[in-house]
Order: sequence, then structure tokens, then C-alpha cells
Amino acid sequence: MFFLKKRWIVLDIEQHPRLKEFKFSFDKILKNPLSITGLSLIFIFFMLAVFAPVIAPPQNRAEPFRIPHEGYSVIPKPPSPGHPFGTTTKQYDIFYGVVWGTRTSFRIGFMVVGSILVIGVVAGSISGYFGGIVDEVVMRVVDIFMSLPLLILAMAIVTALGRSLDNIMKALIVVGWPIYARTVRSSILTIREEDFVKAARALGAGTLRVIFKHILPNAIYPVLILASLDVGAMVLTAAALSFLGLGAQEGYADWGQMVSLARNYIVGPPGQPLLYWYVVTIPGLFILFFVLGWNLLGDALRDSFDPKLRRK
Amino acid sequence: MKSSILEVEKLTVNFYTYEGVVKAIDDMSFSLDQGDTLGIVGETGCGKSVTVLSILGLVLPPGRIESGSIVYRAGEKSLPLTGRSDEFMRSIRGCAISMIFQEAGVALNPVLTINRQVSESYLLHSQKELCESVLSDISQRLVKKRGIFRTYLKYTRWKYRRKMKKAMTNNLREGRYGRLLKLEAKQLSIALLANLGIPNPEEVVNRYPHELSGGMQQRVVISMALACNPKILIADEPTSNLDVTIQAQILDLIEQMKEKYHSSILFITHDLGVVSEIANKVIVLYAGALVEFGCVRELFKNPLHPYTKALLNSVPKLGKKQRLESIKGTVPNLISPPSGCRFHPRCPSVMEMCKEQKPGLYRMKDRDGKDHMVSCFLYRDTLPLTNRGG
Amino acid sequence: MNFLNYIVRRILLLVVVLIGVTLIIFVLLTLFSPEQRASAFIRDIKQLSDLNSIIKTYGLDRPVYMQYFMWLRQVLKGNFGWSTTVSRPVLDAFKFFLPHTIELALFSAPLIILVGIWLGSISAVHRDKPVDHFTRFLAIIGWSLPTFWFGLILLMVFYGYFKGLFPPEILSYKAQAFVDSADFTRYTRMNTIDALINGELWIFVDALRHLVLPVVTLAVIQIALIMRIMRSSMLEAMGKGYILTALAKGASPRTVIRRHARRNALIPVITVSGWLFAQLMAGVVITETIFNRKGLGWWWARAATQLDIPAVLMAVLFNGILFVITNLIVDILYAYIDPRVRLG
Repeated sequence: MFFLKKRWIVLDIEQHPRLKEFKFSFDKILKNPLSITGLSLIFIFFMLAVFAPVIAPPQNRAEPFRIPHEGYSVIPKPPSPGHPFGTTTKQYDIFYGVVWGTRTSFRIGFMVVGSILVIGVVAGSISGYFGGIVDEVVMRVVDIFMSLPLLILAMAIVTALGRSLDNIMKALIVVGWPIYARTVRSSILTIREEDFVKAARALGAGTLRVIFKHILPNAIYPVLILASLDVGAMVLTAAALSFLGLGAQEGYADWGQMVSLARNYIVGPPGQPLLYWYVVTIPGLFILFFVLGWNLLGDALRDSFDPKLRRK
Repeated sequence: MKSSILEVEKLTVNFYTYEGVVKAIDDMSFSLDQGDTLGIVGETGCGKSVTVLSILGLVLPPGRIESGSIVYRAGEKSLPLTGRSDEFMRSIRGCAISMIFQEAGVALNPVLTINRQVSESYLLHSQKELCESVLSDISQRLVKKRGIFRTYLKYTRWKYRRKMKKAMTNNLREGRYGRLLKLEAKQLSIALLANLGIPNPEEVVNRYPHELSGGMQQRVVISMALACNPKILIADEPTSNLDVTIQAQILDLIEQMKEKYHSSILFITHDLGVVSEIANKVIVLYAGALVEFGCVRELFKNPLHPYTKALLNSVPKLGKKQRLESIKGTVPNLISPPSGCRFHPRCPSVMEMCKEQKPGLYRMKDRDGKDHMVSCFLYRDTLPLTNRGG
Repeated sequence: MNFLNYIVRRILLLVVVLIGVTLIIFVLLTLFSPEQRASAFIRDIKQLSDLNSIIKTYGLDRPVYMQYFMWLRQVLKGNFGWSTTVSRPVLDAFKFFLPHTIELALFSAPLIILVGIWLGSISAVHRDKPVDHFTRFLAIIGWSLPTFWFGLILLMVFYGYFKGLFPPEILSYKAQAFVDSADFTRYTRMNTIDALINGELWIFVDALRHLVLPVVTLAVIQIALIMRIMRSSMLEAMGKGYILTALAKGASPRTVIRRHARRNALIPVITVSGWLFAQLMAGVVITETIFNRKGLGWWWARAATQLDIPAVLMAVLFNGILFVITNLIVDILYAYIDPRVRLG
């Protein structure tokens, strides 16, 4: 006899341990003051980026990232009604620069971290799950890349490829994926040996099911934490490279670029040393708070996912 | 008539956690007599460890001893152990009352040698004795040497006399022991390890914990506890992680040591077989409450509390082919424990009043004239109520 | 004996890494045109005008794998090429700039490690109390700071406002003149140490004053990292069984923390310290540029912007070697402190 019944699937959270844990994590994240601050900061910057054309209308629609400048005077001018944050060397408007710089930073952060996440997780998963010679080779490559500081290798690559923001991003991608591969691999190796995976196998679960249902959900947490911290780290490194002169062209809306413009005007004339404080301080503060937001989020994620700290 | 050496009276311990207040120990009272081995039996999570940690004042936050008293009787003096300063408790811990832990591998510090860990006990509590033997050693050598050695020896003697004076007033700060004291402690440690049946103690003492087998590790842990001849030895499931043959050896060892040092033992275990072998009195705990107390033989022959009966029933018996008995239901959540008697949801003889009130402690005399107490309303008509809390 | 085995194995691993680094360098090289690459082989300025013969001699128009070996051969002979930014052979420039960078690292590294460990320890022991929150707050801000911006702000405040209390560059004019004169013998070419050896205290103080800001800039970010790692590893150590055992023996909490918890907690920190030292080089690039201290970092930064390829390649090579060496030292230390590793 066949019965065809229509059943409503009730998503009873109490019954589903995994969903319950997820909700618990979510709640914890939202209640944690650190993460609230981080998320708020990110949100503010996000709004700034989205509404950039409204807040700071571009002079030339086709090239919004070019900071407008009235004249070529080298001496920066302090904040005034037309220029809320003042102007830096060669009269680039600071306000415009930092607002559109937000878009640049998001672009750098998301594109770089997105790419290294995918590349790293794939490489690490293959390496961790299949082991053997594949594992050895991938890990040696990871070791080699991780033996050089990010900045130095990125510097070398940008020198080779030519100076531009896109090349900075490419360099960061090349340099940034190894740590994800290593993290994912070590997670997989640990989880693979855990009793619950062996139990799943003993109950007859196939390889693919084991990977997706059991291993990956547990392995992904450290990588997520790493990713959110890396958004900040990548923006910082990109800014450093721009500051050194390896990044965007002069006048492009990028925070690191703007700090670099300020190099000659850090200290004012004798008697008024802090005269040009705004050229250095303002773009730098934007970098600081952007990175801070992502770091707070990453930290909060880390605290909430750590099983030992979860239930205090 | 044996005198009691430790008295626990109406002890209540709570843990303040994220998910609520865990009422770990509820109004527990019992006593330990001089020279006895008291077995503490119960399921996992029933509060055995918390009880003994309270005795040593080692209940760490978020736990707190809410009420009750623990009194240690050393000869004529009665020393309360609750609400004392950490300094006082430190003089008791490891010295008058010491503890052996369950997993020896975890209890030992992996980056320190055995020597340092065992010597630590001596250096913490036997400072005067160590100083004395160092000084007498120096005096002997003074007689023999001449010239420049004399001056050096005199200087050393002066140094250690000062240390001795400090030790008298408990002022010798930890870490300021000096080479000779540590050497003395090392000698004592070697002797102690030999006493505990560890072969080649001079070698072992320089090794690290992970280089020893499980049984040896446990012997080391026991030696750390015995270093200062404690009057009360607390053993928290010391054999649960060992295989049966080693288990037997360790139990023998503990018995020997008890004889040698004239101590009393509090032995925690969930294994009824072990209890029957090593203990002469037993208390049974369930969900943080004392359920029954009595001599080992008596308890096994004539269990009074339904829980004890069920426990004894669930032990598989040789020679009979029958279903394994288990106690129906599960251990209660101590954040919201059952009202009244904590066992009532699982009790086969439950009555209305069990759900409402907590039973007091009823006393009976067994055939040897010893106390046999039970906390169950089944006996409210037949047995007198003790004045101890229930 | 097991100790030796362990070390040998680590060395072999690191040799592989070194070879890999040279491969990377070579890959980078291939991205340049033969003319540019030729500059990696020349020894003195006269050769700059005759690139074609260089190309022929070193076979820069030959297949790639052959070029790799020819380049490697040159490197092993000590010929790293000519640095256009400072107009001298790369190896000479390296020897010239090295002491200043070492000086900076020498003063920063102990500060970072000691302060980081101390703060992390305090933070863990007084968990969730105001001290903990405060230090964690500082750590998060420190970790989010752009090094270059922080250095500039420090410069702005101290140089501009506090009238040259901690000036940039390496030595004041007077001190530099003295150091260059015949009255001053250079031993290590590090101003602080040489000043002490020469007995000229005022130069020592002068050099120190110039070191303060760069060291602080370098240190802040790394301290944040070490502090956080120390804190979490302390917390983990404090939750272990041997802590309870030690307390049960009657030891005071202070001793337990010091002798039992901290020793175990240091283990992960040591691993990170090795990595940290290599990361210092990245910070050095920026710090030396900002404070105009002519050391390795300053040279590399200029080289990158001015396409001074040999210098950039030397940067990569040097960092690779540095990493290999520090890792070896860290591994040895690690085996010394954690006896479990020696069997492994």
C-alpha cells in the first residue's frame, strides 16, 4: 500500500541541535559588545561606500575615483566650507578622497580575501583530505610562501608587474592564500580523526557526505575568523604599499595614497608644528577605524566559536 | 571508640554558571573516623569530586560553598576548614590533607621533571626538616675540612641557618630555596619513590612524565600526596584509568601506605568492586545528596535506600544469565533538580511525600553495632531521625 | 640522540624552503626583460653601458631553466648585481645597511617579547577584570594601526611638538660628525654599541634618542600580537589538570602561575616569536622610510619604487634566509623547553 501524505515540515529549532547551536552563536555574536561595535563600524563604512556618489558627487562621472583639485598649490589648506576636511598637497580635496577611498578599500578587501579564501580552501581541502604526495607538495609550496613577509614579497611582485592598485591586489592574492590552505588542512586533519567522523563512517556514510556534512562545517570556522581579520590586514598592507608609492596613481581616491601625499607636510613651520594635522590624521583615522571594525568582528567571531569560551 | 578526624556538616555548594545555578551539593553531612577508609560511591556527576574539593578549599569560581561547615580534628584541636584564608588552607593542603587525582597523565606537568614535581611537596611543607638535615650535613663536613673550605662552609651554614629561621616563621618564600635544600629534597624524593615500588628511582627522578607508563605515573602522583605524611588522604578515582592488573597493584599500594603512615582515606570511585575491596565504610551519593552511609559489608548485604539497591542490582553477576538491570530514567539536571527527594522520579517505591519534602537522615544500628544511616522516607516510621541535617 | 635527529630533520626541511625561495626569485626575474635582468649580473658601474655583452655572457636569451642555474651560480659566487639606487654592488650595499637595521631589531625584539608576555600574562590571570579589558582594548587598537600612519603621527607629535625630543634619522649632526671623524673607531658599525666601546656616552644617548620612536612604531603592532597569543595560551594552561594538582600540594597561586602555567604557556609564544622576527623586516621597511634611517628597509623601499631589481631580489633572498635561520633557532628552543617534542 502506498500512502502519499502531505506533511508540513516544521522547523522546530529546539529539535535541531545544529540549528540551535547556530542560533546560539548568532545570539552570542549579536550580544557581544565587541561585535556590535565592529559591525556598526563596518555598517557605517558600508553606507559611506554605497552612498559615495551622493555624499561626494564626482566632477567627472566616468572617473569617479579621481580626486578633484582646484589648482596645483603645494601647500595644504585647512578645513573650510567648500572642503570639509581641508585639502592636501596639490589641492586634492581630502573629504572626497576619504569617501571614495572607502569604496576602494572595500573593493580591495573583498576581492583579495574572496579570492584567497576560495583558492586556499580548495588547496587546503585537497591537501588535507587526500594526503600523500599531493599533501606534501602543496605544503612545501605553502611553507615557501609563508617564509617571506607579506610586504616584502608583495613589494617584489609589484615591482615586477608594474605599479598599480590592481597589481597590488594581484600580489596580495598570490601572497595571501597559503595561510588559508594551511588552516583548512590542519582543521581537516584534526577533524578527520575525531570520533564522530569515525562514527559516521562506521554507520555507513559515504566519503562525500562525510566531507560536506561533518568535516567542512567544523573546519570552516577558523577560516571565517581568519577571513574577517584578513580584510583588515589586506587593506593595511595595500595602504602601506600605496604609501611607499607602489600603488595607485597620485590623485586616485585611496587612503594609503592620501597619506603618502602628506609626507612632506607632517610637521608644520616652526611655531605651528601641528598646522597640517588634517592631511595625515584624517585618512589615517579612516584606515584605523575600518580595520578596527573588521578586527573587532573577527575577534568576536573567534570568541563565540571557541568551544571553551562559549558557555562561561 | 574511634574518634572522628573529619566532620562535614550540612555542606551546600553552588555553581553560578551562564545557564543557571547548579546546585551541586545539597545539605550533605558525614564524618570520617581515624584510621578508616571511607568509600564515596556514586554515578558520574553526582558531586563526589566537588565534595572532596570543598574539604581542601579548592572549589574554584564560579563555584562557591554556600553554607555548612567542615571541621578537621587534629588530636585535641578542632580546625574549621570553611571560610578560612587561602594561606591557612595552603598549610593544610598537601600536608595534613592531600589528594590523589584521577588521570595521572593530566595531573603531572609535562614540562617539569619528576624530581621537581615531587620535591615541590617537600619544599613547600618540610622546610624545617630539610634545613636541619642540610645543617647537620654541613656540621659534619666542617669537622673534616680545613682552610678555605672551612670559611666557605661556615658561610653556607650561616645562610641556611637564616633560611631555617625564616622557615620557622613561615617566611621562607617559595622559590628562594637554594641549591642544597633542593638537593636534600631530591634525596627524599628518591627514597619516597623507592618506597612506592618504583624501580631505579635515581633515574626516574630525572625523567619527564610522558616517559613513564600509566601505572608509574599514578605511583608518582601518589608519592606527591604522601610526601608529608598526611593524616587524611583523598583519592579521587585513582584507578579508573588503569587496567585491572595495575589497578590491583595500586590498591595494594594505597593500603600499605595507609598502614605505614597511619592515615585515613577518603576513596572516591564509581566501581563497587573497588569499594568492597578497599573501604571499610561507604557513603552513597546521588545527585549531590547523601543517600546512604554504612559499613561496607552491611551495605552490600543489606542496602536500605532504593538507589543503593538498584545500584547493587545492576552489577552483572557471574554464573547467571539474565538481562542487565539498569535504573530507569536519567540523572537529573542540577540546575533545576527534582523537588523534595532528588531520587523520586526514578524511585520504584516513590510516595507522595517524597515529591514534596527532603527526607532526613534515619539511623540504624547494624549487627556489629555500627551506624547505618539512610535518607529515605521509607524508614520514617521504623528508624529514629538523627539530629544531623538531611 | 633524539634531539639531534629532530634538528637534522628540521634543517632538511628548511633547505627545501630555501630552494623554493630561490625559485620564486627566479620566477620574478623572468617577468622582466633581458635588459633589465642583465642588471642583476653586473658588478660595477662601467658595465651598465654594455648590457648586450652581459646578455650574451650570462645567456639571458637562453632557455629558462639554464638561466636559473647560471643565475644561481652567480649568487653563490657572491655576485648579486648592481644596485642603481645606491650606486654600488648589492652585496656592498647590503653590508653597509645591515648594521643599522640590526640595531633597530636588536632594540625592538626584546621589548616586544618581554612586554607582550608580561601583558598577556597579566591579562589572563586577571581575566575579565578591568586590567584585562584595558589591555585587550589596547591590543585591538594596536593591531588595527597602520604602522606607517602611527609612525607619522608620532613624528608629528614628538618632532614637531616636543621640539626634537626624539628626532628622526640616526644621529644628530654633531654626533654624526664625530662618528665620521678619526677619533671614533667603528667596530660593529652600530652606533649604540660602538659608542659604548669607544666610551663616548653622549653619542650613545644621542643614538638612543633617535631610536625611541622607530622602536615604538615597530613594537606596538607586534606587542599586540604576542600579548594576545600569550593570553590565550595562558588561559588554556590554567585550565589544565596539573594546576589543580599543584594547588592541592599547597602551592600559592603565584607560584603555580609562575612555575606551572607560564612555562607551559610560553611554548606557543616561542613558536610565534620566530615568525615575528621575520615579520619585523616588513615593519622595518616602513619604519626606516618614515624616519629616514638608512638601513635595509629604506634601501628596499627605494629599490621597489625605482625598479632597482637586484636590490629587490636581494630583499626576497635575505628574508628567506632569515626566516630559515630564525625557524631553526625557534625549533631548537622549542625542543629544549618542551620535552615531549624530542621524542616526536
